Amino acid sequence: MTIGAMIGDILRSLFKKPITERYPFERKPAPERLRGKLHYDPEKCTGCMLCMKDCPANAIEILTVDRAAKKFVMRFHTDRCTYCAQCVQNCRFNCLGMESEEYELAALSREPFVVYYGREEDVQFILDRAAQENPDGTDPCQPPAAA
Amino acid sequence: MNNITLPPLIALLLFPGGLFLLSFSLFFEWADRKLVARFQNRLGPRWFQPLADVVKLLAKEEIVPDGVHKGLFLVLPIIALAAALTAALYVPMLGFSPAFSFQGDLIVTLYLLSVMTLCLGLAGANTADRFSLIGATRTLTQLFSYEAPFLLALLGPAIVVGSWSIAEINTLASDSLWFILSQPIGFLVALVGLMGKLELPPFDAPEAETEIVAGALTEYSGRGFALFRLGKDVELVIGLTLVAAFYLGGIINPLDFLWKVAVLLLVTAGLQSLFARLRIDQTVGLWWRVGALLALLQLLAIVVGRYLNPLLFGR
Amino acid sequence: MSETPETPQKFVVPIGPQHPALKEPGHFEFSVDGEIVTGASVRLGYVHRGIEKGAENRNYAQAMYLMERVCGICSHVHATAFALGTEKLAGVTAPARAQAIRTIVAELERLHSHMLWLGVAAHEGGFDTLFMYSWRDRETVMDLLEAITGNRVNYSVNLLGGVKVDITPELADQIRKGLDFLEERNQHYLKVVTTDETFLGRTQGVGTMTKEQAFLTGAVGPTARASGVEIDIRVHAPYAGYPDFPVNLVIDTAGDLLARFVVRIKEMQESCRLIRHILDHMPETELTVRMPRRIPAGETISRVEAPRGELFYFIKSNGTDQPERVKVRTPTLCNWGSVINFAPGHKLADMPMILAGIDPCFSCNDRLISIRRNEQDPQLWSWEDLRQYGVQYYK
Repeated sequence: MTIGAMIGDILRSLFKKPITERYPFERKPAPERLRGKLHYDPEKCTGCMLCMKDCPANAIEILTVDRAAKKFVMRFHTDRCTYCAQCVQNCRFNCLGMESEEYELAALSREPFVVYYGREEDVQFILDRAAQENPDGTDPCQPPAAA
Repeated sequence: MNNITLPPLIALLLFPGGLFLLSFSLFFEWADRKLVARFQNRLGPRWFQPLADVVKLLAKEEIVPDGVHKGLFLVLPIIALAAALTAALYVPMLGFSPAFSFQGDLIVTLYLLSVMTLCLGLAGANTADRFSLIGATRTLTQLFSYEAPFLLALLGPAIVVGSWSIAEINTLASDSLWFILSQPIGFLVALVGLMGKLELPPFDAPEAETEIVAGALTEYSGRGFALFRLGKDVELVIGLTLVAAFYLGGIINPLDFLWKVAVLLLVTAGLQSLFARLRIDQTVGLWWRVGALLALLQLLAIVVGRYLNPLLFGR
Repeated sequence: MSETPETPQKFVVPIGPQHPALKEPGHFEFSVDGEIVTGASVRLGYVHRGIEKGAENRNYAQAMYLMERVCGICSHVHATAFALGTEKLAGVTAPARAQAIRTIVAELERLHSHMLWLGVAAHEGGFDTLFMYSWRDRETVMDLLEAITGNRVNYSVNLLGGVKVDITPELADQIRKGLDFLEERNQHYLKVVTTDETFLGRTQGVGTMTKEQAFLTGAVGPTARASGVEIDIRVHAPYAGYPDFPVNLVIDTAGDLLARFVVRIKEMQESCRLIRHILDHMPETELTVRMPRRIPAGETISRVEAPRGELFYFIKSNGTDQPERVKVRTPTLCNWGSVINFAPGHKLADMPMILAGIDPCFSCNDRLISIRRNEQDPQLWSWEDLRQYGVQYYK
């Protein structure tokens, strides 16, 4: 039976630096395995669509430019993604990966949340096609029609 | 003793009442929060946080809830703050002699400090809110439990000095042996009583947020809440000054005042972070079973001591 | 429920749905006589999210991540329960190393959950210093979990048929170092909660529940174990890595709040021991086995020991790649009975601590809504009825 059993702690703390992390001012290095923004390598993709099928948040859309020539574009919605890395596990050709350094993904508008990955001309093709289909410029962030 | 006489208007509005006391009390609130944070290994708020809080609260709309006496609701915080500010006029703030002084101002000061608690109780009882009602009940229950021991504890030095004037006690306390050494129990009861008065942890049952939200102040939002908070901060300054003047050998200059009060603040902050909140029945039990008895014991010791050895306390 | 018309003048103190004592929405009504509580009632369902229904529209892999989000604190055990159940249905057993890693993460999660609870319970008792310190030390576990899995909550370690991440020797050393610190701190906290006079005044003899009462109200987990009920799925129906790495039952017979503190802190020490033991004897196997996309038709029950008690999963498959029915029963739901039945007679000031004593998780347990309607069988509701009810309710 003691009164003030934590007195040792509080006296020591008085002479210690506060443990609080001043986050935006001081950054700790991210752990190696941190699951940040998804990256896609269009060169390796075979278009098996397994990543899209198992994504629990419908954050991935693989858009086919030319199936025979294995030309694909990935539309990735960072705001929907739950960063579970199921897609990375599903991909048998190692064309998906999560970057441990890119984790500060907040933005003030919705545009940065839609990311296109692919060869430049393919992305342009997809964007042009989208513009043709939606001449009034509707939001590309609608849920994918395929799902 | 620096003895300067101030024009009454300055004494009321600038020093020691009014502006000086308000800014000083905000500083004290910051110091208290910072110290508690450091005791808990946290960073704590920046220096302007209490000021920012008060400014924000003053700018906010004050919602007058249904079912209250509107006049009372609006005027209670003002009375509370005014009482606390008035009490400062009899206290040797910053080591200067009090702006006003007469025989018996100790009692007046103590009751001015209690007006704050009474206002809190009334404010809680005024609203129809259940949390407020329970908070008010607890506030008043706590008032009845700590008030007597606290009064007895401050009476000790007064009896030894043989005066009811704070200024005289302060002057004589600085000439003799520190009362903390001759009356350690009284000091302890006074300091802990002050924490009870200010509803600081572990005596924060009247405003225990996990049970009754904010206690008596639950329905207060804007200006009223800011004024009550300011009032409490002012009471903290006055209370610490009183204890320092009585028990830590009086305060004779600003430097003396600062270090003595800082030490007291450090001790109160430590006590605040050391304990779990006491239930209201535990608080009452503690005060009446332990606090009051200790204070009476101290009083008895003083009386006996005075009878046996009049020279012991420097008289 | 407490709506008894014969005492109309009783003073009811509502706690919740928005209240500083509870960080999640749940509604409690305590009728008080002065400071003494004379009656208690609970109303849940403020955070019903339709997760079980949602699982029916997803394939198994997707549903696992949904299940992981049933609870933010004990996310891993939910995914483990679902993965184990699905693997049982598919006739697949995850490799031993995967099971060991699942167990390590589960025990680390228990550590972090119990430390979180320790802080919350201390805060409810107004002991903010203990709150701050236990949460400070909890960061150690969180950092370990982040290093192992890549996330501080919702670790997503599980895959159907294995785990995603391996524990390398460097990581194992890091974990051991973290455990050293945690064991020392937990020992200290055990000393604090069992010796500090002010805190004992708030916990000793408060909310006491005897073994029979705990049994009667169907309490589970540390709440039941603190009353002397020997119930721990890890011991009595071992799953994942527990058959190979047995865990010792932690039990206390006092049944009061203090016993719940002691049981949980001792459980943390036991978790530390178990993690060390597993790290020293890691099986060397693959991390995953192949899992069919279509799960054979059938039903199964999967039980795991969440930090709060027994977690129960029922999974029914119809042979497609989507589950037909997933039923979740979380431990918090089982423990409400103990709170509501034993609250009367205590002080109002003890209520937050008694509530927190079972480590409640509201969004976990808000799974089932029963709707009462006079003219028909309360169990039978067609989709159209529900729709009509919803339209009427929100009009």
